[in-house]
Amino acid sequence: MSDGVKVTIDDREIEVAKGTGLVETAEAAGIEIPVFCYEPRLGPAVGACRMCLVEVEGLPKLQAGCTLTAQDGMVVRTAATSKRAAEGQHGTLEFILVNHPLDCPVCDKGGECPLQDLTFRYGPGSTRMTFAKMTFDKPIPVSPLIALDRERCILCYRCTRFSSDVAEDDQLIARNRGAYSEIATFGEDPYRAPFSGNVIELCPVGALTSTQYRFEARPWEIQDVPTVCGLCPAGCNIRATTREGAVKRVQSRNHPEIDGGWLCDKGRFTYPHLRAEDRVGEPLQRGPLGLEPVAWDAALDRAEELLRGARGTIVTALSGSETNEIAYGLGVLLRRGLGAHSAVLDESTSAALDAFRAPLSTIGDAELVVIVGDDDVVDRAPAVDLWLRKARRGGAEIVTVGARGSVPAPVGGAADALRELTDPAHDLGKRLRASERAVLVWSGPGGGGGARLAEAAHKLGFDGKPGCAAFHLPATPNPRGVSEAWAAAADGDESDPEPIGLLVVSGDEAAGSPDVRALAEQAEAVIAITMFHSLAVGWADLVLPATASLEREGTSMNLEGRLQRLRRTVISPVPDELAWLSKLAARFDAELSPHAAVVFEELSERIYGGLRLEQLGEHAALPARAAYVAPEPSRAPGAEAAQRAEGHFVGTLRLLRYTPLFSGHQVERVAELQFQRPEEEIALSSGDAGRRGISTGDVVTVRSNGTSVELRARVDRKLVEGVARVADEHAADLHAEVEVVKA
Amino acid sequence: MSAAPEVVFAGTDGGAITDLAAYEAVGGLTALRRAREMTPEQIIAELDASSLRGRGGAFFPTGRKWSFVPKPDQNPRPHYLVVNADESEPGTFKDREIMLRVPFRFLEGCLIAARGIESQHVFVYIRGEYEHEWEILVSALEQLREAKLLGGVTIVLHRGAGAYICGEETALLESLEGRRGQPRTKPPFPAIAGLYASPTAVNNVESITTVTPIIEMGGAEYAKLGVEDSTGTRVFSLSGNVVRPGNYELPHGYPLRDLIHEVGGGIADGRTLKAVIPGGSSTPILTASEAEKVTLDFDSLSKAGSAIGSAAVIVLDDRCCMVQLGVRVSQFYEHESCGKCTPCRVGTRWLTHILQKIESGRGTHADLDLLLDVGDRINGTCLCPLGDSDAIAVASYVAKFREEFLQHIEEAGCPFHGASSLDGIVAPTDVHEAHVGPHEIHRPLEVVA
Amino acid sequence: MSQTFYDDVQEMRARYPDPRSAVLPALQLAQERHDGWLPEAALREVADALDLTPAYCLSIASFYDMFHTEPVGRHSVEVCTNVSCAVSGAQQVLEALERELGIGVGETSGDGNVTLRAVECLGGCGWATVVAVDNRHHLHVRTADVPRIVKELGE
Repeated sequence: MSDGVKVTIDDREIEVAKGTGLVETAEAAGIEIPVFCYEPRLGPAVGACRMCLVEVEGLPKLQAGCTLTAQDGMVVRTAATSKRAAEGQHGTLEFILVNHPLDCPVCDKGGECPLQDLTFRYGPGSTRMTFAKMTFDKPIPVSPLIALDRERCILCYRCTRFSSDVAEDDQLIARNRGAYSEIATFGEDPYRAPFSGNVIELCPVGALTSTQYRFEARPWEIQDVPTVCGLCPAGCNIRATTREGAVKRVQSRNHPEIDGGWLCDKGRFTYPHLRAEDRVGEPLQRGPLGLEPVAWDAALDRAEELLRGARGTIVTALSGSETNEIAYGLGVLLRRGLGAHSAVLDESTSAALDAFRAPLSTIGDAELVVIVGDDDVVDRAPAVDLWLRKARRGGAEIVTVGARGSVPAPVGGAADALRELTDPAHDLGKRLRASERAVLVWSGPGGGGGARLAEAAHKLGFDGKPGCAAFHLPATPNPRGVSEAWAAAADGDESDPEPIGLLVVSGDEAAGSPDVRALAEQAEAVIAITMFHSLAVGWADLVLPATASLEREGTSMNLEGRLQRLRRTVISPVPDELAWLSKLAARFDAELSPHAAVVFEELSERIYGGLRLEQLGEHAALPARAAYVAPEPSRAPGAEAAQRAEGHFVGTLRLLRYTPLFSGHQVERVAELQFQRPEEEIALSSGDAGRRGISTGDVVTVRSNGTSVELRARVDRKLVEGVARVADEHAADLHAEVEVVKA
Repeated sequence: MSAAPEVVFAGTDGGAITDLAAYEAVGGLTALRRAREMTPEQIIAELDASSLRGRGGAFFPTGRKWSFVPKPDQNPRPHYLVVNADESEPGTFKDREIMLRVPFRFLEGCLIAARGIESQHVFVYIRGEYEHEWEILVSALEQLREAKLLGGVTIVLHRGAGAYICGEETALLESLEGRRGQPRTKPPFPAIAGLYASPTAVNNVESITTVTPIIEMGGAEYAKLGVEDSTGTRVFSLSGNVVRPGNYELPHGYPLRDLIHEVGGGIADGRTLKAVIPGGSSTPILTASEAEKVTLDFDSLSKAGSAIGSAAVIVLDDRCCMVQLGVRVSQFYEHESCGKCTPCRVGTRWLTHILQKIESGRGTHADLDLLLDVGDRINGTCLCPLGDSDAIAVASYVAKFREEFLQHIEEAGCPFHGASSLDGIVAPTDVHEAHVGPHEIHRPLEVVA
Repeated sequence: MSQTFYDDVQEMRARYPDPRSAVLPALQLAQERHDGWLPEAALREVADALDLTPAYCLSIASFYDMFHTEPVGRHSVEVCTNVSCAVSGAQQVLEALERELGIGVGETSGDGNVTLRAVECLGGCGWATVVAVDNRHHLHVRTADVPRIVKELGE
């Protein structure tokens, strides 16, 4: 290595790349430098805990090893070969243990606790401290999700640094000074932020623990299963901790290119929905008295009956949360078996973006990021939000173009904004063209699922620049995987059957969609594949129970275009979809294996170039970029424009609906997450609120043709004028134009 | 006393100069005019020639510190001069008197120093408790502004809010940036990445005030005063059991015994000298006989196993119990610990507890060994010198007055029997500890459903 | 508090290259206008004026001795009890104040008039004992001076 440096640690010589930290250098030599506060993902080393004290030749005092970088010729001695370093580390542990309570028997961290491990390796076996330890009220609810035990806290400040320097929510702080320092939130306020749960994994002791996991298991009783989160299109790598066949917690599995080791609270804490009270446990068939449970064979008979009877008039509504294999299986059954080629899927992601494919971590290294669209990135793909913050801390400029953007734009104006950017005279566009590290992001509906974005990226010359990338954030976790797998199942053109003889609703996103429900009302019959009773009750003729993504073997494709492998973490209480799809398909002479791995092989031959499942590995790789292929042009030029302000009446506001991160059928069923649910409020711009005499906190009536809703108002200084923003679940049946008046 | 040359307080005749015209009348602003004709390199060269060393306590050569600040073409970020007016080292009160009596000489020094490091932006971080001194500076700054003498340099007077640790330069920068005043690891050093990650020079009030007469008289001339490794004059803060405590500007090298017995009028109330803390509470204590032998300069005090520190001389007579002194001093460090690093946060409190145990008569010989061992584990392992100072100070009391510690142990009580000058003294941590009692524990966790 | 606090803080912000630096003067001003302490509402106002979170402002306020997050008396009387003042009779002055005010150190009088504290070195060591009354320093204080000091506190 021409730019390598040689370091001697404990008489072992090791060469590492210039700039490597000393802790990593030692690791490379097979030597441990123990640490608590050191965590490179939190920023530059702070050297606070003093656990990593080592002797460095030429320096009189012991040094905090974590703050040092390998220098050529450096000679270091750790506790293994230096009495002074050993005493220093011993001393640090002794000090930490001075006030640390003997909670191990009742502490969740026991058995997977760095303090236990390091004390055993480097610390004292008994105590010389004879005074009363400091005691505090315990445990304190930092939030319904997180419990704080201040007596155990070793004040390594990892949690507060995460809150201020990574998630940048500044809600978890240190209070007071010196020995009386404590971790706290403001007053009685809970730690309410999308990434709060990460502090549980960061905490090296049992001070910050998960309330869901409290007293649930000991590390020697559990099995961790590696898989990928299926709740949003980022596809963060996770690990499910299971005990006796149930998921007990979800942790990050750190894919450095996708999630960097962080997990949002939705991915982390939503697993209890697997055991929701209203989970559909068996098939339900509509009879004279409503939906009644039936045996599987009878259910499949009924399904066959409905399918045959509606041949030629079948439409499938896909959720975009299916695995590729399930989507393919549906395609084999419906398209190959029945020639039912019509499907609706809310949004997908255009393949044209493959020319600008890059890991999400590229965003973290960018110098300029332009985000177009009306939805906040954190609501669509939270991991991207963290990369954006990292980029900004690194000096990047982040420009948001949208209804709440730094560059205000009308609702639905994302495509126009992109067009403007590609104008050769446009200032921001010029900077995008000139940059080697620029990223475009589409965060919102429309735009041909990223097709417009790809066109713009191409015009701006992103091709061939690895530091330049474009990302479309779809509304569902696996829309592209689903639509391509569905398409691969057979050849044949879509028609739009009218009327719809049978609507097959796959998945809860579809079951909960007002558009799909509208179709269902028109359809003569409906088969719904759903997890929860309340979603399909009332309008399905046959309900087949669905599995959750944590229960599935298979693959999915995230928003980067990366194929990743899901592993079954627990056996679902209901049969896997492929199991009954294969039986049903057989009745229509279509062959489908019930095993995900076999289905993947078939699918891979068709569309993944024969890629084998083992090749995906534990941390899947992102394939190299494809050459740019221009996408289909916008079907209706000005279609985007048509979305905007139709029939705008004086005094009305354009209603902007959005889907908050903590919404959806899974989140609704987790008690501890209810405090993160969106407030029942409507956001108005300062101007619009002012003109109507409305202040934050006022109750207002929101009216549109025939319907009205009462909500609390909030003045949003970032919101563009003429727009009112409401969470979709609070907007009921309101139309696109609304009147807002003080109640 | 009037024979000693005054440099910092020159022209004041024992009073204060708070009016710009009066300051000019005694030669004020001469140095500034001269400096504005000099290049930054020439200014730094003058400081080098003076061998001026930091007057805050670190005693680092000022000219060399300024030379570490990269030139604007090497580092395009704005350069900052930050003046440390957070004077909080127990025994020290000289920067206060400087700001009170010669505010213009100080501000003039700020402007000259700014030019030396090519900075347009000066921040003066003044401890929050010095409200009156801050008002004086506000008025003086306003007079300079009205007289259009600032030359495009912005001077911001920033008040602290009560934290000794903010006198540590990197903690000061953190506090100035609007964060908790916790020190940073070095490197990076402030000269490269200091305030707002930009090149910064942090200097003490007295150092900056001395810059003015150095430029006026010339560095070489200044270096003729004092002694070789400690040139120039120093404003010594004398306090404790002397007849005439106060701030005295004297040349470095002045005999300590003369400061105490001549300038300071000797020990009050006919008592005898027992011990002297020569450079603020963080410096090792000297016995009476040691104190008689040293001179007030870097070399002499280092050789005696102590340090010149902040030039704060605390005189203690025979009424002072050394164990109680240990308790009170350790309580100070415990109270002021920022809490960032483990040995200081935990160790200062533990030292205090052990000392209290010994003082109360419940201590054993093992406790004395433990005290020194805990101190050994603190000293040299902390992120900044605060923790080290507690350990060093306490170790020196044991080293120099071991018999007194042993007496407490063997007599199971304080041999002063309530008559010590420190007896019953209440520290802020005493009050805090009274409120921090054992708390009700094991309250069941209520999960919000 | 009113619009003027927000405006005052904006002025403070403008003095610093990084507006976060204004948190200390903003907290000082907020405390002045809130009877000498910082209730939650005051911390929220500071947060709002500086685009910081209330939690962050609490983390700053609680670090420094001169900020109080609990109610205080209309007047504060603070006695330095560090070494130089201690050997010059600070404890006797403190005890005299306790007797004269009828409260213990660290407490506030029942009528809400005075809070009495022991504090660390106030930087007046040669003028011991130093007593800060509403942050104005009284020097060379002896027990004999205590009645006068208390009387001057008035209502």
